[in-house]
Amino acid sequence: MTETDAVLDPKPAAPLRRVTRRSVLIADKVADWSIRIGGLSVIVAVFGIMVFLAQVVVPLFTGGRVLGQQSFKIAGTAEALVAGGLDENHVVAYTIGRDGEIGLYHVASGRRLVVPPLDFGGKRATAFGRSIVGGEIAFGFADGTVRFGKVTLTADLVPAQALPAGLQSLGTDRTDGAAVFSPLAGDQFRKTALAVSLDAEQRVAEGRAIIALDYRSGGTVERPVRTFVTVDDAGVPRLSLAETRINMLTRQARTAVSTAVLPPLPAGTPVARAMVSEKGDQVYVVDRGGVVFRYDTRDAKDAKLAETRDLLVGNATIATIGFLIGEQSIVVTGSDGSVAVYFRLAQAGATTTDGFRLVLAHDLKPHTAPVDAFAPSERGKMFVTADTAGSVVLRHSTSEQVLLSLTQSGGAAKLAALAPREDAILVVGADGTATVWHVSAPHPETTWASIFGKVWYEGYDGPAFTWQSSSGTDSFEPKLSLVPLIFGTLKATVYALFFAVPIALLAAIYTSEFVSPKVRGTVKPVMEMMASLPSVVLGFIAALVLAPLVETFISSVLLAFVTLPLSLLAGAYLWQLLPRDLSLRLGGGVKLALAFVALFVGVLLAAYGGPAFERLFFAGDVKAWANGDIGSGGPFTFLLLLPVAYVAVSILSERMLGDWLGIERAQPGVRTGLTDALRWMVTLAVAAVAAAILATLLTAVGLDARGGMVSTYVQRNTLVVGFAMGFAVIPIIYTIAEDALNSVPEHLRGASLACGATPWQTATRVILPTAMSGVFAAIMVGMGRAVGETMIVVMAAGNTPIMEWNVFSGLRALSANIAVELPEAVKDGTLYRTLFLAALTLFVMTFVVNTLAEIVRQRFRKRSAQL
Amino acid sequence: MSATIETLETRSDAPTYTRSRITALGALGEPFQWLLAGSLALGMTMIVGFLLLVLWNGASALWPKPIHLVTFADGTRIAGEPTRTEEFRVGAERLATLDEAARQRIRDLSGYAWRTLYRTGNFDFYNDDFRWAADFEVRQVEAPADLYFVERLEWGSFVGRIASVEVAGERLAIDDARAVAAHREAQRRLGAIRSLEHGAIGQVNARIERERLALRRVAITQSEASPEYAEAKVRADARIAGLRAEYQRLADEVQRLKAEDQRYRVTLVEIGGKDKTLRLSEIVRFYPANAVGWFDRLGIYLSRWGEFLVDSPREANTEGGVWPAIFGTFAMTLLMVIAVAPFGVVTALYLREYAKQGRMVAIVRISVNNLAGVPSIVYGVFGLGFFAYTLGASIDQLFFPERLPSPTFGTGGLLWSSLTLALLTVPVVIVATEEALAAVPRSMREGSLACGASKWQTIKYIVLPRALPGIMTGLILAMARGAGEVAPLMLVGVVKLAPELPIDGVFPYLHLERSFMHLGFHIYDVGFQSRNSEAGKPMVFVTTLLLIAMIAAMNATAIVIRNRLKRRFAGSQF
Repeated sequence: MTETDAVLDPKPAAPLRRVTRRSVLIADKVADWSIRIGGLSVIVAVFGIMVFLAQVVVPLFTGGRVLGQQSFKIAGTAEALVAGGLDENHVVAYTIGRDGEIGLYHVASGRRLVVPPLDFGGKRATAFGRSIVGGEIAFGFADGTVRFGKVTLTADLVPAQALPAGLQSLGTDRTDGAAVFSPLAGDQFRKTALAVSLDAEQRVAEGRAIIALDYRSGGTVERPVRTFVTVDDAGVPRLSLAETRINMLTRQARTAVSTAVLPPLPAGTPVARAMVSEKGDQVYVVDRGGVVFRYDTRDAKDAKLAETRDLLVGNATIATIGFLIGEQSIVVTGSDGSVAVYFRLAQAGATTTDGFRLVLAHDLKPHTAPVDAFAPSERGKMFVTADTAGSVVLRHSTSEQVLLSLTQSGGAAKLAALAPREDAILVVGADGTATVWHVSAPHPETTWASIFGKVWYEGYDGPAFTWQSSSGTDSFEPKLSLVPLIFGTLKATVYALFFAVPIALLAAIYTSEFVSPKVRGTVKPVMEMMASLPSVVLGFIAALVLAPLVETFISSVLLAFVTLPLSLLAGAYLWQLLPRDLSLRLGGGVKLALAFVALFVGVLLAAYGGPAFERLFFAGDVKAWANGDIGSGGPFTFLLLLPVAYVAVSILSERMLGDWLGIERAQPGVRTGLTDALRWMVTLAVAAVAAAILATLLTAVGLDARGGMVSTYVQRNTLVVGFAMGFAVIPIIYTIAEDALNSVPEHLRGASLACGATPWQTATRVILPTAMSGVFAAIMVGMGRAVGETMIVVMAAGNTPIMEWNVFSGLRALSANIAVELPEAVKDGTLYRTLFLAALTLFVMTFVVNTLAEIVRQRFRKRSAQL
Repeated sequence: MSATIETLETRSDAPTYTRSRITALGALGEPFQWLLAGSLALGMTMIVGFLLLVLWNGASALWPKPIHLVTFADGTRIAGEPTRTEEFRVGAERLATLDEAARQRIRDLSGYAWRTLYRTGNFDFYNDDFRWAADFEVRQVEAPADLYFVERLEWGSFVGRIASVEVAGERLAIDDARAVAAHREAQRRLGAIRSLEHGAIGQVNARIERERLALRRVAITQSEASPEYAEAKVRADARIAGLRAEYQRLADEVQRLKAEDQRYRVTLVEIGGKDKTLRLSEIVRFYPANAVGWFDRLGIYLSRWGEFLVDSPREANTEGGVWPAIFGTFAMTLLMVIAVAPFGVVTALYLREYAKQGRMVAIVRISVNNLAGVPSIVYGVFGLGFFAYTLGASIDQLFFPERLPSPTFGTGGLLWSSLTLALLTVPVVIVATEEALAAVPRSMREGSLACGASKWQTIKYIVLPRALPGIMTGLILAMARGAGEVAPLMLVGVVKLAPELPIDGVFPYLHLERSFMHLGFHIYDVGFQSRNSEAGKPMVFVTTLLLIAMIAAMNATAIVIRNRLKRRFAGSQF
């Protein structure tokens, strides 16, 4: 303080000096500015959090972008093209013609590179089939033969020193005529080349032209298995398995082809396409009108026509049909511009022979003209469709969204292809113009609808809210709906508040109104100490100590919900037996101590009565009962109805019996106390009878609490979470509510008491209504804490993303999900951004709840200040 | 308010109340009062019970327990520490295998029976650390005096007999004084080996790595073909060669010590007769559990606490100590306070002393209040996305290009954790400071200004000193909150096992980019991620006790400081 004095000391010389010292002025200015800037920047930073989170989330919903576009002319006619593609870095594009002609083009310059054609011996392919990945191709010919081949685009690193001499320039790239060399960082080049191979003829349909063909290659490198399906011009479908065995000694390959003729199609079916699954267990033959004949070929010798179904609406004819990766989805496009995705699903009521049906899962945005070209992605559920009017659309099947709508000027699309990394599209028009778009669509599977709505995933019976971000298999599609997580958060919050709000509020009222300031001075810090318990500790105790205990003594835990209030009430009626002067002298603190005793008695009753309670109400085993295996729902319905009935009956008895017995007006004393206790017991008995009758009636009607709020028991469940969360939430609600009650002006309390109201009447009719908004704010703040609580739910909730209100099952909350999955999420990936969206959701949820609480609280403050 | 008053009026108008002079029973609301009191009692029971549970389990976890030799009805025997006894429900299949007497006993207990969990140790023999023994299957329980409890560096603890100790070729019994001395000697030798390996060799390695990185930096900034690079390479190679020689010398020394260590061995025999021989230095502690006196037990207990507080963890964190976690928690909390204090106080000063009190400031104040309620995990997400991945990645690009692609600051670490928690706790400090500033009487400010002091002088000499108790309280509460937070740290830099402390003897001594261990995360990790959560339980309870004690100590300090400063300023009112 001496410093202060020194400055403030009015020195005798001071009045003479009118000039403030420069250093003081400068210090003042500096402090002024730095405090202003510092203060404002903290506020900006704090709001920057929300902006930053939002900025990470936004790309999830932006669809696709075109980064660039290039066009060139292809040699020959576009009509003859059967296949085409781009390499991983879209340096080159290739096309394959019916006559075996292969065109390889440098995309940036459009220059054609030299590739020898496939040698068909002068024949022209009448049918073509290919796999989605791996570049396996197959051609069918008019003489009933089939030839397999492989087209692969290779990319190898070449050091600058090892470049061949005499390269020609292609802009930044160079070529030796056949391969392209692109410069990379660090004096290296990438050599992109096309490798083509063609196997010998396989004779399948003797003398008949093959008009439809599909081909898959599987098995191992040593024992490749090729599955292919052919349809000849007589309409006979055949499924063939070509197994190649390589003799380990002679290194000679021997191929054995076994062909099974499938049940014939109806005569005169105009076959358009045939498709086979990779395992060869499903064969689809499609006619021009869009009717699909699905064969169940799990046993190739005994193949059955499982299902016949028209996939198109009205008179439309089929334009293209094909699998998406994983072979669960079939994309069908029609001459009417329609684009639809079908799933093969096992359905209970299916009339097909194998129990599966083709179901229209996604009806996508149609084109205005016939869709003549379709290309699936090699890695996801994206695909390209292009129509005869020049419109090209990049879409995603599961999210049903159109990522990009493009236009090409080469006339009707004859060929479409999607680059392996889903970052370029090739479309060849009828006039031979090839267009390549370099695109970016990093998050095709997410839309607002896919994150917050139901989505129909492959293998699911219908649209559903699903969260499953990862799995062991490669063809797995992440399912990112936040709804189950939001549900989990709400479930944990609701059950936690069910438990915490009554305890916290009642305790706050008692502390503020019924105990002496001295007792309050010790009680309040003890309760507040709860708030400083780290939540990881609560979670640990809940999961490893509490959960096993609750599981073992579940019947006692449930019984405690009945015995604790009952023993407290019994305590109250015993207390009333005390002479009035004694009970007045003992007051709040002693009552609190006796409440501990009553609580202890209640716990003892619950512990010892547990097994009997279990036999009586839960057929001897709570877990089996909850599962629905044994017993009936009646006794439990009775338990639920009991408090309702008790409240109803006690109100009635107070109105009627109270007056009749004279309790309402009688002086407290032993006699009145006895009468009142008696009345209470009668009330309880009547309530029990009423509840029992009601429960029997409801059970007879067929109402059973099981399956909803109560169902299958798991160890880490919401009951445990709610209890543990109580530790986190109770002190918050308690403190704020107690403060609110306590800040009701003392003169109100005094006036009420002076008018002759009892403390109880004062508390319920004066204090509580006045402090109501503060109490409400307390509950809201507690709710905010419960919503965001992380470690307790991570540890004690089991983390299963299910959507049911069952109190005996676990949950997966938003916060827990972030904590568990974000450390493993790839930066800027879809999961990463979705988890940021989860964080943003939490942020917004708590911000709204807290702002509401804060506004209400401020109103309360203003009001209580006016009183 | 009007509604309440009306109610009161109508109530006092009611004939019942005006006529009678006595209080009616119904007006006392006794049953309701009891429900209120019961709620309060329940709340207090919860907290007190919780603290007692942690205290009891935490304090007793390290106490040496006796070893029981349990013989089952079928003749098999196990030896182990009784860990806990509990009531359990006997399953139907289990019940069917029992004899009538046992079944009757279970029926008498309404389907329940008692069982004891024995910590049998010997994971290398049994593939499990624990074994339940239900009371109906136990035939006999003894406590032989020759059973030893042996804590080992690997494979957890051992329960059984110690057959012999081999000291430099000579076989001794375990109760030989020379054997005990040899054990102490072996432990000292192990300490020397470790300090060489982690201290001297670690430093040499760090210096080699630094040379390599410096060279790489030249390669990136100048290109590998430049003369500067050639020159730097010659220099670096020479230095690295020198360091390699140093390394070799140290490695030889370690090799020599290890060879010496091999000559001291101990043979352990488990209760079934299987034996195992290991180096004497692999034994941390051993005692004949049933033969040690109370005083020796206390000694073991204290030595275990000592180990817990100052040693590194071993056995996947389920044994050993938590020193790195204590250190990490302290370092992180301290850095957090250094970051949060100026910003929180400056913001509060701005809001209270500088900004114009209007609607805008009211909105800002509500927002700041609300930020205290934003879930901590959201701050963690922000910390990861902004600090580590955006800010940290840029720092790496600018200052540590030679270490890329392995990130330096571009991943979670001590600095980012502290900053994240600082952000999380800044609302706490702002609110507390604002309240403290508001409590300084306006008259004092006006007096100061009237005397000619400038605004900053007023704040510096009048307002801040008086608000200091409140500010300190806010800061310490922020520390307590920060020390207990785990969720955001899981995203921004906490690891289950950090090989190096954030502060060590290697330049630049304070390594802000390193990930660290934390007591709270230690609890989560050991309780949930270890191979056997039962084996880690004692450790978790002790850690929990420590963490709660730390937080309680911080809270208590806050109260003490507040009271002391209050007293200091109590007399100096205007």
